[in-house]
Amino acid sequence: MKKILSILTMLLLGVSLIACGEKTTTVSTSSFDETKTINVYTRDTTSGTRTGFMEGIGFAEAATSDSVLVEGFLIKDNTGILSTIGIDEYGIGYVSLSSVNNTIKGLSFNGVAPTEANVINDTYGLKRPFMWMLRADGDYPSQDVEDIVNAFVAFLGTTDGGDIINNQGAIALPSTTTWDSIKANHDVCIQDNSDITVRFGGSDSIQKVAQALTAAFMPKCGNFVAEHDHTGSSDAYKRTNDPAIKDTSVGKDVGFASRNFRGAELEVPAIQRGQLAWDAIVAIVNLNNPLTGVTAEDLKKMYDGTYTTWADIQG
Amino acid sequence: MIAEAKKLQFRSTSKGKITDKIAKIIFMSATILSASFIFVIAGIVLVRGVIPFTTDNLGVGRVSLFSFLTGDIWLIGETFASNLYSIGFIIISTLFITLLSLAISFPVGVLTALFIAKIAPKPLAKVLRTVIETLASIPSIVFGLFGAGVILKLVYDFSALIGYQSKGGNSILSVVIVLALMTIPTITTISEVAIRSVDKSIEQGSLALGASKTQTNFKVILSSAKSGIFTAAILGIGRSLGEATAVSLVAGGRRAGISFDLLDTTSTLTTIMLEGLKETTGIDYDIRFSVGLVLMVVILLTNLLLNSIKRRVGVVNVKE
Repeated sequence: MKKILSILTMLLLGVSLIACGEKTTTVSTSSFDETKTINVYTRDTTSGTRTGFMEGIGFAEAATSDSVLVEGFLIKDNTGILSTIGIDEYGIGYVSLSSVNNTIKGLSFNGVAPTEANVINDTYGLKRPFMWMLRADGDYPSQDVEDIVNAFVAFLGTTDGGDIINNQGAIALPSTTTWDSIKANHDVCIQDNSDITVRFGGSDSIQKVAQALTAAFMPKCGNFVAEHDHTGSSDAYKRTNDPAIKDTSVGKDVGFASRNFRGAELEVPAIQRGQLAWDAIVAIVNLNNPLTGVTAEDLKKMYDGTYTTWADIQG
Repeated sequence: MIAEAKKLQFRSTSKGKITDKIAKIIFMSATILSASFIFVIAGIVLVRGVIPFTTDNLGVGRVSLFSFLTGDIWLIGETFASNLYSIGFIIISTLFITLLSLAISFPVGVLTALFIAKIAPKPLAKVLRTVIETLASIPSIVFGLFGAGVILKLVYDFSALIGYQSKGGNSILSVVIVLALMTIPTITTISEVAIRSVDKSIEQGSLALGASKTQTNFKVILSSAKSGIFTAAILGIGRSLGEATAVSLVAGGRRAGISFDLLDTTSTLTTIMLEGLKETTGIDYDIRFSVGLVLMVVILLTNLLLNSIKRRVGVVNVKE
């Protein structure tokens, strides 16, 4: 009995291993079939990347509505789209430029390749703003926190801040000011701030950039402590200015949003909000896909269902 | 002397009684605390969950309960501006997926438990038990990552082999496999305890009557342990119904139409709650509590149903 069982187990293991081997080889040798249906991948309606993408391709109504999209679309998060396009030869999706890697192919948009250089020189069109929002003057846990936050915002507009933003794959706004030339205006940075915590939050798309910025700014400003808790663009406003939330344990001193402010968010005085960078969004396909570029119209037609097969777009 | 002894005895018992009372109060307050959490959680979900049906949602309009429970499109129109939410098709696909995953995990789990408890040599059983217990304690996100990294690709390639154009492997099949992997350890651990606590005399009686080892295992031991095995299935179903993270990584986020096609995308009550939850506000946020409410009702009804079946299945002489 025991012998039979162990032999059966070994056979089962063997078969499953062989099955794995076979399957991997099938895919790598298969060629691209243009008559196949386009599998459309998207973020969910609350995503800032989705808003940036849909507005960028002239399909703004799809930013918040699933009903206008092609039937049978798939909803995934940024990593989910990236990893599934790596598998799905017939899929199309979009991710932010900073997450593009060599497992997928980033498509050029309206003839312009998705590179940082092309975003800086403003030729690449598919991009979204990175915004910041502050609490109202005098609404901080202490005057020191408020002074540090103001110094931080000034730092965002310097070439020093810009370098860090660019190093993270986002694109800083042009600037000629250096931190050394303006730091005299911020006395708070001369003192020891190591016992002061400043809370950062908002868009999770900006988290990497924001963390790099605070890591660089802390030693420049008395080694204050930066606490990062990024939960989404909507929280940029909610956790800094929404009276119901800003004073709870999740309240923030600086909130980031990866889209333009809208609705009630615009009631916050203009001095409390601004832009720090651009982020480019890239349409991506599987490496096996022969396509190298798309236009805004191509993408719109793929997402609204006018184009259903890959032959439609190449024809 | 005797009086003295009686006094002592009285003192010690009265002391014992006080300790008992204190212990009773401590136990009771612990119970009240844990039980009240259930009411607090259910209460909050209920209060938030009925908002979409009872208010006009800041001008968006009241959600109709009937179409919410019966419709087959998650949301018609623009998010934050439409009240046309429905989850009818998601309730059905959730139950369908749970049943399918149980159809895989239940037989595999119970047979594994039988092997570990009765057939495997002691040292091997010990190793296997540790492996299964470790598997049961692996967080669901790890199963999700395994699903997204391995199962999606396997399902995609399998679909290609049979000539079906899969959507990157995101499918009912992937969800069912991930859920089965997650529930097998739960079912195995609990079934194994149930099988091991079957009275030895029943087993020996069966063997003495001339039944073979296999006959005894299947006809006597499994049927004696069926109550415990049923509990295992109930907990397995609970885990399947409640899993969100791992499922959302392989489900594909279907937003309209019932599909029983194993290779097509799907959504469950938990994934629809999770996707976008972190970035949403207003009605689109509150409606997720309504979905949570429906999920709680589905779980409650399933548990009541299964428990009534379990009572009917009954218990045969099992050592407690």
